[in-house]
Amino acid sequence: MAIAVPKRRLFGRTKRPGSTREALVGYAFVFVPMAVFLLFFIYPIGYAVYISRYDWGILGPLENLGWKNYSHLWHDTLFRRAIKNTIEYTVWVVPAQMALGLLLAVVVNQRIKFRTFFRGAFYFPALASSAAITSIALYLLNINGLFNKVFGFHRAWFYDTQTALPAITALNAWTTSGTMMLFYLAALQAIPTDVYEAAAIDGAGPWRQFWKITFPLLKPGHFFVAVVSIIGAMKVFDQNYIVSRGTGGPDYATYSVVLYIYNTAIKDSALGLAAAAGVVLFIIIFLFTIVQWALFGRQEAN
Amino acid sequence: MSEPAAPPLAALDELAAGEPVAVGAAGPPVGIPGRARSELIQRLLTYGALTALALLFFVPFIWSVSTSLKPLPETANFSLLPHTWTVAAYKEAWTQYNFARYMANSAIVSVAITFTSVFLAALGGYAFARLRFPGRNLLFFVVLGTLMIPDQLRLVPIYRMLTIFPVTHWNLVDTYQGYWAIRMVSATALFLMRQYFLTIPRDLEEAAVLDGAGYFKTFWRVMLPLAGPALAAIAILEFQGTWNDFFWANLLLQSPQHWTMQVGLAQFFWSYGTLWNDLMAASVIALLPVVIVYLFFQRYFVAGVASAGVKG
Repeated sequence: MAIAVPKRRLFGRTKRPGSTREALVGYAFVFVPMAVFLLFFIYPIGYAVYISRYDWGILGPLENLGWKNYSHLWHDTLFRRAIKNTIEYTVWVVPAQMALGLLLAVVVNQRIKFRTFFRGAFYFPALASSAAITSIALYLLNINGLFNKVFGFHRAWFYDTQTALPAITALNAWTTSGTMMLFYLAALQAIPTDVYEAAAIDGAGPWRQFWKITFPLLKPGHFFVAVVSIIGAMKVFDQNYIVSRGTGGPDYATYSVVLYIYNTAIKDSALGLAAAAGVVLFIIIFLFTIVQWALFGRQEAN
Repeated sequence: MSEPAAPPLAALDELAAGEPVAVGAAGPPVGIPGRARSELIQRLLTYGALTALALLFFVPFIWSVSTSLKPLPETANFSLLPHTWTVAAYKEAWTQYNFARYMANSAIVSVAITFTSVFLAALGGYAFARLRFPGRNLLFFVVLGTLMIPDQLRLVPIYRMLTIFPVTHWNLVDTYQGYWAIRMVSATALFLMRQYFLTIPRDLEEAAVLDGAGYFKTFWRVMLPLAGPALAAIAILEFQGTWNDFFWANLLLQSPQHWTMQVGLAQFFWSYGTLWNDLMAASVIALLPVVIVYLFFQRYFVAGVASAGVKG
């Protein structure tokens, strides 16, 4: 989410210096939140990098490896598989949730009956817990499930190496589309209505209006939604974990980067290697976050 | 996604507002040729898409609720309504499969974390909005910076820290305290509170100060009551976030007596995967609190978020 960065200078005085007492009260008020932020957010970054340089087992650091954990990751077939799966997932889920989110936004933005109801209903899967939604999907897509019955398939979608990752992709595109709908609704509001008036006078039908006006004018919205979607997609974990009981199966078909971090740390107790994978993922996400802030932070601040 | 993106706040306002907003659907037709036909096409397209989407979004939930009301043998049938209506699946989930316990656990951690993070966000947000102290902007920048740190990077260091806590050497894994500690403050909540306090006129506090109220009293008696909508908004965000959390709960709350609803659901599926009616009943129970909060408090959610003036 784009956050309005304070426009004031970071250092230097505010205009009217407060009293010493006011300053002390200020420190007292922010003490607990700041302590928690420093202890559980800022410090862990450095600690993660520190751990990532060690062969670190369940009892603690064993040997300083320098940056060898990183080169080990590079050659680790499982990590490569996790990266491949995560990229494959991202490449499919991002356009899918964007398209579905845009469709939802455009539909509920029309003059339809029960519009408020539909908006709320379409947002609902985005509010629901991943565990409950995944359970429902597991039921619908099981081999004797409703989906197979209706569409005439005979396939265990989540347990087939061909379809397990696509099934998770479809599931998550569905659940996140409500959030994307809200982003797109906000972007749609920014388009002035007189453009449509002019287009209607020129005889452009609704289909042409959408492709020639709405879609191109949503460009900032598309960028924003894309970046948010990509960042979210690279963190995929819950569904893969629940569906495969943490194995990333069948045959590593659903093994994601975060699942790699989790299993390497918790199941294999290889904390150094897991921390290195975490740092790699952080750098990738950080780059996208910078893009997001650069593109949208400034315009939000204004 | 283990952690859904924060909802775009301006659009949430839109979500609750029933007023039609004419975007894409242009104003009244004033003698434009071909207009009637164009409107007809638009309506057909809209209602066609709406029907398809409604099926996509409603069928899974309706089917789950229906299944949860069937006896087990009937889950093999494909009738939309149960032949024999029964709440047996709910009873089994609730008692035999311990979901009463998981529900209580979820309620305890969600309420505790919501209270703590709302209080700390309000306290910190007030200080950042109103009190002057050296380094204030730098500290606030640190708060915003934490928004960039993904939980996935924190996993290893936090797990290690909670296994052997620095200095004190406590083992906080598989304790509510450990889970509570890492979630007790939220940068998003603090940020929203600060923004909200900035919109409240200073006159009211100055009156309180003239009456001799101290800083905390001014905060507690004057500012907090004025911040009701923002407090409600972040309380709902925090409650929903904690209630739905799988990532940290699954990592930290390991033994069955500590499982939350979400962890319990996953564990139930792994152990009894084909008891579909029980699984669906448990899923419905897991969804219920969020549904209730969403239905009843949406207004506050929107009010607080809109006044915080943040746009996604």
